[in-house]
Amino acid sequence: MSAASTVQGRVVKVTGSGLFRWLAFGVFWGYLVVRWLYQWVGADLLGMDPRAPLLPVETFRTLATTWDGTRIGGLFSFLRVAGDALPAAVTGTWLTIILTVVAMAAGLVIAVPLAVARVYGGPVTRWAALGYTELIRGTPLLAQLFVLYYGLSLSATLRELPFVGEGFIPAQAALVAMIGFTINSSAYQAEYIRSALRSVEVGQLTAGRAVGLSKLQTIRRIVLPQGLRYGIPGWSNELVYLIKYSSLAAFITVPELYKRTRDIASGNFRYFELLVVAGVIYLGLVLSASALMGRVEQRVAIPGLGE
Amino acid sequence: MTLLEFADVHQSYGEEEVLDGISFGVDRGAVEVIIGPSGSGKSTLLRCVNRLTDIDSGDIRLDGTSIYARDENELRQQVGMVFQDFNLFAHLTALENVTLGLRRVRGFSKEEAVADAHDHLERVGLLEQAESYPAELSGGQKQRVGIARALAMDPEIMLFDEPTSALDPELVGEVVSVMRDLAEEGMTMLVVTHEMGFARSTASRLTFLDDGRLVEQGPPEQLFERPEHERTGTFLRRLTELHGGIDR
Amino acid sequence: MLLQSGAWEYIAANWVYLGWGLVFTVCLTAVSVVLGFLLGLPAGIIETYGSGYSRGLVERAGVLVRGTPIVIILVAFYFLFPLTIAAFWAAALGLGIRSAAYQSQIFRGALQSVGDGQMEAARSVGMSKLDAIRRVTVPQALRRSIPGFQNEFTIVLKDTSVAYAIGLGELLTRGTNLYLTEQGNTAVLEIFLAISAVYFVLTMTTNLSLDALGRRFAIPGGEGR
Repeated sequence: MSAASTVQGRVVKVTGSGLFRWLAFGVFWGYLVVRWLYQWVGADLLGMDPRAPLLPVETFRTLATTWDGTRIGGLFSFLRVAGDALPAAVTGTWLTIILTVVAMAAGLVIAVPLAVARVYGGPVTRWAALGYTELIRGTPLLAQLFVLYYGLSLSATLRELPFVGEGFIPAQAALVAMIGFTINSSAYQAEYIRSALRSVEVGQLTAGRAVGLSKLQTIRRIVLPQGLRYGIPGWSNELVYLIKYSSLAAFITVPELYKRTRDIASGNFRYFELLVVAGVIYLGLVLSASALMGRVEQRVAIPGLGE
Repeated sequence: MTLLEFADVHQSYGEEEVLDGISFGVDRGAVEVIIGPSGSGKSTLLRCVNRLTDIDSGDIRLDGTSIYARDENELRQQVGMVFQDFNLFAHLTALENVTLGLRRVRGFSKEEAVADAHDHLERVGLLEQAESYPAELSGGQKQRVGIARALAMDPEIMLFDEPTSALDPELVGEVVSVMRDLAEEGMTMLVVTHEMGFARSTASRLTFLDDGRLVEQGPPEQLFERPEHERTGTFLRRLTELHGGIDR
Repeated sequence: MLLQSGAWEYIAANWVYLGWGLVFTVCLTAVSVVLGFLLGLPAGIIETYGSGYSRGLVERAGVLVRGTPIVIILVAFYFLFPLTIAAFWAAALGLGIRSAAYQSQIFRGALQSVGDGQMEAARSVGMSKLDAIRRVTVPQALRRSIPGFQNEFTIVLKDTSVAYAIGLGELLTRGTNLYLTEQGNTAVLEIFLAISAVYFVLTMTTNLSLDALGRRFAIPGGEGR
C-alpha cells in the first residue's frame, strides 16, 4: 500500500528551485545595471562609445557566418541581432522603469484621498470621485494618451516649461506619458484601495469610535493599516499592469523599451529577434515586480489576517 | 458475517501518524459507533473506507475483497457517505442532488431516476422539498437530503462522519430519527458521532479511538457503565456532560 | 482647447466610417473573449485539478503570456505568424490568447472557491473525477466567475484599441485617421472625446448586460453548501 495523496491536500511546487531564480534575477538585473552605468558614466571614463554593445556581437556574427545555414548558425545569428539591439533596448528600459515608478507613486498619492472620498465621503465628494474613476477606467489607456498628446497638445505646452528635456528631466513626450499613466493608475488604485478598505470589518470602525478616536483618527490608525495590507494583491496587479502598458507610450513617441525595439525592427526587419528581446526584458521586469510584491506581502502580513 | 474489515491500518499525514494499527471487523447489519477525542483519527478512518484518504499500510476489505483491488468509483457506489458539512451540490435542487448519481453513475434514465429519487426523499421525509435548493433548506433538511443522496446509490454500508455536529440542537432529532430507521431496516452503518443518545439506543457496538489507536470496543452499556479502560470512562463522562445522554 | 461646433459636425459627417470602427471593435472583443473562454476554461481546470507535466506546462505558459505586453503579443501574431493573416485575425488570436491566460486564473480561483467538499461528495457517490468536474464544480465555478468575467470583458474591449499598432481599422485607429486629414486636424480633441464616450458606453452596456445575465443564472437562495 503506497502513501498516495488524498483528494484534498495536494501540494504543488510551481516555481523552480530557489537557486535558479536568484541566479536568473541576478543575471538580469546585473546586466541592466552594468549596462546603465556603462552608458552614463563608464563609457566616458573608459573613452569608449556609450552605444557600443558589451556582449561579443562581432564574435556572434563571425560564428553565424561560419555555421551559416545550420541551426547553430541560426542561434548565433539570433544572438548577434539581439546583442546589437540590447544597448538601445536597455536605454529604453530605464525610461520604462521611470514611467512605471512615477505613475505608481503619483497615482497612489491621488488614489488614497480618492478612495477615502468614495468610502467615507459625503454625497457630492462621493459622486465626483465615482465619476472620475468610472470615466478613467471605462476608456482605453491609449485613447487617454492620445487625448493628452494629440488632443490637448500637452507636449507643446510642456515644451515651453524650463528644464524639460535637459539632464535628468525627460523630454516633453515622456512627461505627457507620465501624466497620462498617473491619471489612469490613480483611478485603478483608488478602486483597489476602496475595496481593500471595505474588506476591513465594519466592527473595526465602530470599535475605534467606541474607544474615543475621532473618525479621521480611526481611519488613519485602525482602518488604513489593515486596509492597506488587503490592498497588496491589487498593487501587485497594478505594478505589473503599468510595466506592461508603459509600452503604449511608444505611440506618443516616447523612446521606451518597446519603441526602441520596434524602431530597430522596422529597420532590419528582424521582428522575431527584437520581439524576443523586448519580451524577455518585460518578463524579467514583471517577474521581479511580482517577486518583490510577494516579499512585501510576507513582510507586512498580520498573522491570521486575510484569507 | 463480516462485511467490512480493517486489518492493521496505518495512515500518516506528513510526519504525524493518524492511524496506528487499527484492526477490527464490522458485521453485516451492525451499527458501529466510533467515538473519541478530536485528533483521534475517527474521521480519517471513515475516509479511508471509501478511499477519500489513502492508507499507508495494512488493508481494508469490503465483502472479502480489498478496497484497493477494485475500481475506485465502483467501490464508492458500494460505500455511502454522509458528511458533517452536508456537501450538497449547491447548484442543484434536492431532487437533482439525488438524481445526479442515479443518472451519471448508475445509468438510470431520467424518468427512472426521478421516480427513485422521489422514493428516497420520501423515505427521509423530504418529498415536499424536492424542488428546493440547498440554500433554502435548514441544516437538518440538508443532512437528510445528503442521506437520501447516499442511499440512492444502493450501498452495502453507510458511513456517517459526525452527521449532526454542524446542526443546531433542535434539528438534530430529525436526522437521528432517520438514522435510527435506517438501522432498524438492517443497514450496516459506521458512525462517528458525539450523539450519546443515539449511541446508547441504536449502536450495536461502541468503539473508542484515541491517538490513532483502538482503545476499547464493546456494547454501549459496557463502555458507559463498566469500561475496561480509565480513559474510556473519563472521555464518556465528559461527553455525556456536554451532550447529555438523554435519548432524543 | 475650445470645443468647436465645426468639429462635431465633422465627426457626425463621418459617422459611417467611425461606425465601422465600432463594428470592428465589438466583433473583435466578442471573438477574443470567446476564444479566451474556449482556451481559458480548460486551462483553469487543468491548473486546478491537473498534475505533473500538463499542469506545469499550462502554468508556465500562463505566466509567460501574462508577463508580456499586449502590443508585443499582437505584433508577434501579425508579423511572425507563418501564414500572412489579416490584421483582424492576428488581433483576435493575440487578444484571445491573452484573455485565455487571464480567464484561466479567474476560473482557477472560482474552482478553488467551490470547496473540496463538493468534489468529495461527488466522488463519494462514485462519480469519476472528470464527471465531478463537469457536473458539480464547473457549473458552480462558472457562476462565481461572473464578476471576474465582467472585468475581463471590459479589459479586452479596451485592449482592442492597441490593435492600432497593427493598423486594424478598429475604433481608435479610425478616429486617429480622421484627425490626420486637413479638416480633421483641428478637431482632434473632439474626435478623441467622442471615441472615449463610445468606449465608455460600450463598457457600461457590457457590465449591465453581464449583471443581468448573472442574476438570471443565479442559484436561488444564494451560494449554499
